[in-house]
Amino acid sequence: MDFQNRNNTANKFVCPSDRQLALRAKLKAGWSSSKTSEPLRPEEQEAIISVIRRNEEIEIAERQRVGRLVERVEKIKQHAVERGPNCCRLCGDAFGLLRPHRIICEDCRQAVCTKCSVDINIRYHTSERTREIWLCRICSETREMWKKSGAWFFKGLPKYDMPRSASATPTPTVTTGPGPGSIAGDMRAVQSCHGTPTRAGRVKKLTIRVNDSSSSSSNGSASGHSEPEDELDGAAMGGKMRPLGKLQREDSFRLRAYGSIRNFIDGGERKLSQSFFFGRQQSQHQQQQQHRNSECMDYDNISVSNASTVAQLRRESSFLRRGSISSSWSISDSSGSGNSATQSQSQSQSQSQSQAQAMTGHSQQHCRDPLLGWLEISISYRESFHSLDCTMVRARDLPAMDSAGLADPYCMLNIITPEAHAKYTRWQRTKTVHKTRNPEFNETLQFVGVEPEELGNSLLYVALFDDDKYGHDFLGAAKVCLSTVHSTSQYRISVPLGAEDQYSNVAEMSQNWPNGKMLLSLCYNTKRRALVVDVKQCINLMAMDSNGSSDPFVKLQLKPDAHKNKKHKTSVKWRTLNPIYNEEFYFEASPHDLNKEMLILTVWDKDLGKSNDFLGSLQLGAQSKGERLQQWLDCIRLPDHFHEKWHCLAADNPTH
Amino acid sequence: MAGGGDPKWQKDAADQNFDYMFKLLIIGNSSVGKTSFLFRYADDSFTSAFVSTVGIDFKVKTVFRHDKRVKLQIWDTAGQERYRTITTAYYRGAMGFILMYDVTNEDSFNSVQDWVTQIKTYSWDNAQVILVGNKCDMEDQRVISFERGRQLADQLGVEFFETSAKENVNVKAVFERLVDIICDKMSESLDADPTLVGGGQKGQRLTDQPQGTPNANCNC
Repeated sequence: MDFQNRNNTANKFVCPSDRQLALRAKLKAGWSSSKTSEPLRPEEQEAIISVIRRNEEIEIAERQRVGRLVERVEKIKQHAVERGPNCCRLCGDAFGLLRPHRIICEDCRQAVCTKCSVDINIRYHTSERTREIWLCRICSETREMWKKSGAWFFKGLPKYDMPRSASATPTPTVTTGPGPGSIAGDMRAVQSCHGTPTRAGRVKKLTIRVNDSSSSSSNGSASGHSEPEDELDGAAMGGKMRPLGKLQREDSFRLRAYGSIRNFIDGGERKLSQSFFFGRQQSQHQQQQQHRNSECMDYDNISVSNASTVAQLRRESSFLRRGSISSSWSISDSSGSGNSATQSQSQSQSQSQSQAQAMTGHSQQHCRDPLLGWLEISISYRESFHSLDCTMVRARDLPAMDSAGLADPYCMLNIITPEAHAKYTRWQRTKTVHKTRNPEFNETLQFVGVEPEELGNSLLYVALFDDDKYGHDFLGAAKVCLSTVHSTSQYRISVPLGAEDQYSNVAEMSQNWPNGKMLLSLCYNTKRRALVVDVKQCINLMAMDSNGSSDPFVKLQLKPDAHKNKKHKTSVKWRTLNPIYNEEFYFEASPHDLNKEMLILTVWDKDLGKSNDFLGSLQLGAQSKGERLQQWLDCIRLPDHFHEKWHCLAADNPTH
Repeated sequence: MAGGGDPKWQKDAADQNFDYMFKLLIIGNSSVGKTSFLFRYADDSFTSAFVSTVGIDFKVKTVFRHDKRVKLQIWDTAGQERYRTITTAYYRGAMGFILMYDVTNEDSFNSVQDWVTQIKTYSWDNAQVILVGNKCDMEDQRVISFERGRQLADQLGVEFFETSAKENVNVKAVFERLVDIICDKMSESLDADPTLVGGGQKGQRLTDQPQGTPNANCNC
């Protein structure tokens, strides 16, 4: 190429800045001082082009690699639960004393649990400095992405092809023609090479490109190697805008999703606190309006509302979100414990309290209980039939009940009257949905005989339990104020599930356990390396003898038994349905073995002269669920302590 | 140079099994031994025959350093001035520079300052530089003492090595050191300025000094 020639057509090029000119003047070795250059010979041009092509292949592979890195991080981000400050932003587990430890991510300053965070030890290889920090998985992966993609160096992500577009060209073949359309910038020079028929023309174009970018380095458009430049300087280029715009879109989408989740929570919170204080309709009127709005907002991806309402809801939601920052969720509220006698009193107390709080917009009561998941209900009232139809749509994020992290949930429903009693003695029950923490119930249960005026001050109470042969473990409960239910339309709501209260106990008690219960105490004795089973007592056993009583005793065995322990049995307690044993038995076992073994207890009615009658059974082990699993694990985790629990007895005989 | 049909580089170039990719550039006056230096490192070969590099060439080598696989794309530039327009175009993508002079050639040493100016003009400002005095095996023809080289490196604030591509002295050490320096720069830049990573500003031009509070824009 010819610099003389170039000077003649200098107006085609951007004039270098003064600084550059000064620097070039200083550089005696620079081209500005050289006038002897001759054009590149054809073989030289060919050699350079072949290098540029080789580089292209690497660049394409690199863009795809960066695309995969970006996709990976985006996937993790999408899976983040973002449930609020009291829960891990990634997995959504609530923090607590016995629960995951809370860690604040160094980069995003959000709370995550130990499982979802990484302890990063930053080591500097050229000095002795080290620094240890905690990062959430999103931020640590983002950092990794920035390192691996080179974004750390260029202070922005280089160009990348997302795997989808990359799949079209799994093996980049540069020689066969123009590259994939998504590749802009540095490819253009070479693409134009392929397009031009003569080699001389190609090289001419190419060298002009090179000149261009080198003479005006801050205005770099296209050279074989300048993709970061494109990223930053040529950000307005069409090819560049695509990934950039995409990222921003995704971010704003995430933000919106997060907002709606918060709103979701806030809506639920209000609903719940409102449902507790059903005395005050007027002051709530405005709030209810808000609820319904926010609730619509929650479902706006299900039922698309028109744009203007959405916009209005956005405003609403931002207001709600602000309110929620100071108030954490009051889910379990005042009725978390206490018997029903004091309950009504405390309730009326909190009622007046809350009235004042409602005026300020949020309750001060902070919830210590973790969120137990969500329940989506749809309620409608048919006035002509005086019937309340409650559809349990689905539940989400229920607590896990077995070692596989699953549960078998079902719902128990009743209506709570203003006198804080269950209206029906028989609780309605949905079917069990097996092996899931996110059950889709889609089951409608009908309460008949609900007067319209009752709706105003009654609650719908829903308790979720885990279905198991050996007892039904509480999963969570929700109360819904029925004052907002109208005959005209279906009322759809998603409520957070709270902790146990007296109603859930009533619901649990209402369930039929004909085989009675057993109080069992377990302890792992580290000295004797044995599991100590203390059979304390049984209640409400079945009557098997003609005198309306039984003569119960308990058989115990460990299965599969690694230490060949013999079976044990308690003494027989004559003519009683509520025997008290307090007898201890030792099963030799290592704590490790206990993870595989199952303690089987069977209760029998001692009959003389004929075979004993089966009364009930109980199994405990690592394969158990709920409270039984918990007791078993507690026993292993905290040895040399007795762990006592009531268990229901099942009707089937596991030893058969 | 370095034919495209060479199976070794193709294997290395196609290898996607790595953590980081660093682009390095070797610069310096003509005939100081840049190509020999690269061939010694990448192929462990050496030839005394002098073939002037045409414009630009590169080799790919994946190294294992600090539990990380680092893919190095090492650009070998022509020292001749007539290719300067092409070679400077590649400065912008380089994370590290090996600035080479010939200990037997006073001119090449005197040009170091000019090359540094070139780097400052065309590269990213956080690019790392190592000064290398090559051909240290030719003691009898030496005109630049180790001490002069070291002093210049101190002045420039860069690290310094004397190497021999022919005798394979310090060749590997130079690359390893450069990788270490870049790795540290990487940890440092992310550690010092988490906003970079924190979404929000992606794709924008960022000034060197982070603006605003460190986490103002982090919504990741």
